[in-house]
Amino acid sequence: MSGASTKVMQPFDEGFVEAFAPEMTLFIGLLVLIIVPNLGDGKFRLPLTNIRLPWFFGGKRHSFERDPRLPGLLASVFASVAFLLTLLSFVGGMHSIEVESASGHDLLTVNEFSRLFELIFFGAISLACISSMNRLTPHASDDRTANGLFNNRRQADFYILLMTTAIGMSIVALAQDLFFLFIGLELASFSTYILVSFLKETKEGTEAGMKYFIVGSVASGVGLYGLSLLYLWSGSLQFVDLSTKFASDGLDALPLVALGLILVGFGFKVSAAPFHFAAPDAYAGSMSPIAGVLATASKAMGMVGLIRILLVLASPDMSDEGTVWLVAMGVFSVVTMTWGNLAALGSTNPKRMLAYSSVAHAGYMLAAITAVGAWNWDSTLSGDAAEAATMVLTALMFHMVVLVCFKLGAFLVISILESEGGGHTLESLGGLAKREPFLAVTMFIFMLSLAGVPPLAGFMSKLLVIMGIVKVAAGDIGAALASGESISFSDIHWVWYLALAMVINSAISVYYYLRIGIVMFFHDAPTGKTLLPQGNSVRLAIIACLTLTLYFGVASDGLIEVCQSAAESLQASWQN
Amino acid sequence: MTDYISLPLIAFPLASSLILLMFVSNLTEEAKQKIGPTIRMASLIFSLVMLGLTTGMFFEYFGDFEGWEGINFNTFEFEERYLWIESLGIYWSVGLDALSFPMVWLTTFLLPVTIIATWHEKSAATYFPLLLMMGGALIGVFVALDLFMFYVFWELTLIPMFFLILKWGGDDRKYASQKFFIYTFSASVVMLLGLITLYFLQDTTSPLNYSGSMTSRTFDIPTIIDASMIANTDGWFLGESVQKILFVMLMLGFLVKLPSVPFHTWLPDAHVQAPTGGSMLLAGVMLKMGAYGMFRLPFSLFPHAMQSFQLLLMIFGMVSLVWGAVVCLGQTNLKKMVAYSSVSHMGVILIGVATMQPLGWAAALFMMFAHGIISPMLFAVCGAFKHHYHSMEIGAMRGMAKHSPWLATSMMFAWMASLGLPLLAGFVAEVMMFIALWYFIVAEGWSIWWMAGPLVVLVVTAAYYLWSMQRTIFEGGDETQPPASMDGHAIPDITNAEKFAMIVLAVFTILFGILPWIALDMMSDWTHQIFDSVVLPILGGFEGGA
Repeated sequence: MSGASTKVMQPFDEGFVEAFAPEMTLFIGLLVLIIVPNLGDGKFRLPLTNIRLPWFFGGKRHSFERDPRLPGLLASVFASVAFLLTLLSFVGGMHSIEVESASGHDLLTVNEFSRLFELIFFGAISLACISSMNRLTPHASDDRTANGLFNNRRQADFYILLMTTAIGMSIVALAQDLFFLFIGLELASFSTYILVSFLKETKEGTEAGMKYFIVGSVASGVGLYGLSLLYLWSGSLQFVDLSTKFASDGLDALPLVALGLILVGFGFKVSAAPFHFAAPDAYAGSMSPIAGVLATASKAMGMVGLIRILLVLASPDMSDEGTVWLVAMGVFSVVTMTWGNLAALGSTNPKRMLAYSSVAHAGYMLAAITAVGAWNWDSTLSGDAAEAATMVLTALMFHMVVLVCFKLGAFLVISILESEGGGHTLESLGGLAKREPFLAVTMFIFMLSLAGVPPLAGFMSKLLVIMGIVKVAAGDIGAALASGESISFSDIHWVWYLALAMVINSAISVYYYLRIGIVMFFHDAPTGKTLLPQGNSVRLAIIACLTLTLYFGVASDGLIEVCQSAAESLQASWQN
Repeated sequence: MTDYISLPLIAFPLASSLILLMFVSNLTEEAKQKIGPTIRMASLIFSLVMLGLTTGMFFEYFGDFEGWEGINFNTFEFEERYLWIESLGIYWSVGLDALSFPMVWLTTFLLPVTIIATWHEKSAATYFPLLLMMGGALIGVFVALDLFMFYVFWELTLIPMFFLILKWGGDDRKYASQKFFIYTFSASVVMLLGLITLYFLQDTTSPLNYSGSMTSRTFDIPTIIDASMIANTDGWFLGESVQKILFVMLMLGFLVKLPSVPFHTWLPDAHVQAPTGGSMLLAGVMLKMGAYGMFRLPFSLFPHAMQSFQLLLMIFGMVSLVWGAVVCLGQTNLKKMVAYSSVSHMGVILIGVATMQPLGWAAALFMMFAHGIISPMLFAVCGAFKHHYHSMEIGAMRGMAKHSPWLATSMMFAWMASLGLPLLAGFVAEVMMFIALWYFIVAEGWSIWWMAGPLVVLVVTAAYYLWSMQRTIFEGGDETQPPASMDGHAIPDITNAEKFAMIVLAVFTILFGILPWIALDMMSDWTHQIFDSVVLPILGGFEGGA
């Protein structure tokens, strides 16, 4: 903990609104988005009289509402303000706040951990809002294509759904209770189901929406069943109670089965193999900014769930046979990263390729979680436990933060191509270097960053994750060596091989990332395409992503420290 | 102390090339054409300033130190250290010793020579900044005293080279550049895992120098080597199996870069497709990163493991030497032949290394240096050949001596230097390797048949070089028509810029052939230092060697 003491309050106590300023901003933004597009000069006639009172809704709309970009603008402003407020809460030390119900149950917790994840969610959503503004022409009548017309009509819906996604995700990050967790998860999930199928007039959009919804709701159902089994077992939904219960008798069959079911639910969210099948279709069929949100924020949300459930709840210092999930997680992570990379090798749709690369990244993150689990569940590991867990969690969070920069950035570059009808084939990227050199170089930097080439942010994140895993694997062998004990390689814990699998996988992944670069620089542009669609706001978002990718690659110290304090705040909440 | 390295030698070329590239990318094609010569001249001046600086370092004009000889093992001159990432113990840490300085000088020497030799390269506005970036990244590898920094620059060298091959390369450049990138990247991520494992096996019970606030371990190379030296004197540092595995992981990265035979397949493709300038830097400096890395990390850290893998290293070296030379015999492509001859010469380095004696190591270091001067000349000749005759096939052009005397002379000189003509730089290294190998075989009682490899290669090397010279320079002449690829145009000789570059390279080849001590003294001193502090304590008695 960074020194600041935790303040306990009840909902709407003094200071509550200030504490939840970012979330409140989003909520107000949601209301504004619902109200503003409906404003008009409509009048309300009092029944049985002829008196007409101004009602402001319906009727003839005001001229400022005619611009179809208005909802986008509003949503961008509110999401950005929420992002900045979250960022501000880090300045000068975080004030941790715990919200309790009247009966003393934990509801929500604000600390560095939850705020960092909100930073990821709001950052990704505001970038998506900003860049989506360009999907439309300034005058609705300019774009007479079917998509254009429908887009114009549904603008408010789109941004309302983005707002609810953000709110749902932030609830997941703040939740201290399985019920809250699930409510937030479902709010975000349902919003994304609709967002994915937003282009419902196209075949791909419908297919994507259907697949994503069916698989997603089945996964949620299975996860919910797991949560209810936990309730059956412990009689409580509170993280605190569950954690204590796990510490005493976590090895019953019931909670272990429940954990497995929950793993399925969140495995879908982080698109871990073998629950990833819907992801490539969903990414390919949805609009690129949405696919970017799915690959970054939605995945981070799944990770919060996994961290909460696996590490906070089921992390008793048990030293016996609790490794049942550990091995499963290890296998799970290796399968996920390898499957993702191998599938990406063969895909010629850049969005599918990015989807599979996102599966691979999920594998890397699961490997990191396995490493923390190894420290928790495997008695053969020694060393400073808290330190090792901090390291891995720091790496995990660093990874998710910088993923927003280059993964979402890559989707935004594709979204520019998408607005000219391309983006679904590798060839549509052809000649990008001649058409707009800046975008091509930026995309190539994002690709190198995804591959983990120094000195970019992606390298730092991969390095940190590998370091975290190796740190857990090495334990305190270093000290043992210094004291003269003889150590053989088999004394290094097997999670080391997860790091090996990671480096081999990043070597495989270089192939498909480089291929994008080669297509952009050396293939000819699709016939008839010269200048790219205009759009300053999406380029602004891309520049922001690029700057952060470079900055966090070279000067990552600040972000590492923030992530470290977040990791420590999480641990502080689970070790007491 | 003034920092002579970080800013002028690394940051300046990297930053200036980035700024130039950013500036250029916004220009139209015509504006690029127009500004090309200016950028070329600016790059040349930048690189000459860097050369001046390193030459000044050589003459001990800069800095305050006792000379390049007598620097103790694991201590460095021009050492500077700045905090980079505090939580992980990462420092921007630079320094030079007699191992790295010749390589740094070589890089700064080759940079202007390459710029001059490829003076008329197309798309000058982006080509020359990329060369500068390459130079900055290469110097970064050689001066880094921090594992993280070392790895970052190690990988950074891939990016400009990838683009050099991809943009200016031959017909098959897409395949070659991808193969080059993926091959070396794959090997170096394994190396990275080895480095990180090494990092976490440090003892944190007593506070370490320059350790990170989150991990309480350090990436500082001198600190780690100090710890390993103490541990290695009484047993295996990190234990036998760990040391062996880490040795293999690190060596994988370095052997691929070198390249040694089972891992060499990326090199001929990359070289044949790379433009002349790219080949010159690739063969001249980039391959040496592998050998440099071996000395800097695995040999210094894991002498026990090195000893147990000695036979394997020797086999790798022998096979590289023989296989590289034999394959040369079968090549019809001039550049591919030169590329395989590089593999063969890198085998010489590995053999020198595997003898585990000061003389053999000095031979390896001198070979790195000599090959770094000779091979750029080989590739400059190949480039000129391609440029003038639009073909790379041996025999496509005959009787070159008649109409292109300059090119013919340069080719003959370079070929002779590469096959080890006495009084030229390559000869010194090869002779030293022979003596060291002989000593080693006698002292260790290995079979005399180990000498067969180098002997065969002597003959084979002479054969393929003389054969290719005969077919291109002497044979034919008046009676042969210019190759069909010339489309009936007159055959020009090489340009003045190329002549100048060839002369400079030839002069230095002769200089280091006649007066090898200029570089050899400090190398030999360094090898004795590392031998005395790292290898001698574990051998328990030393036989053979000089």
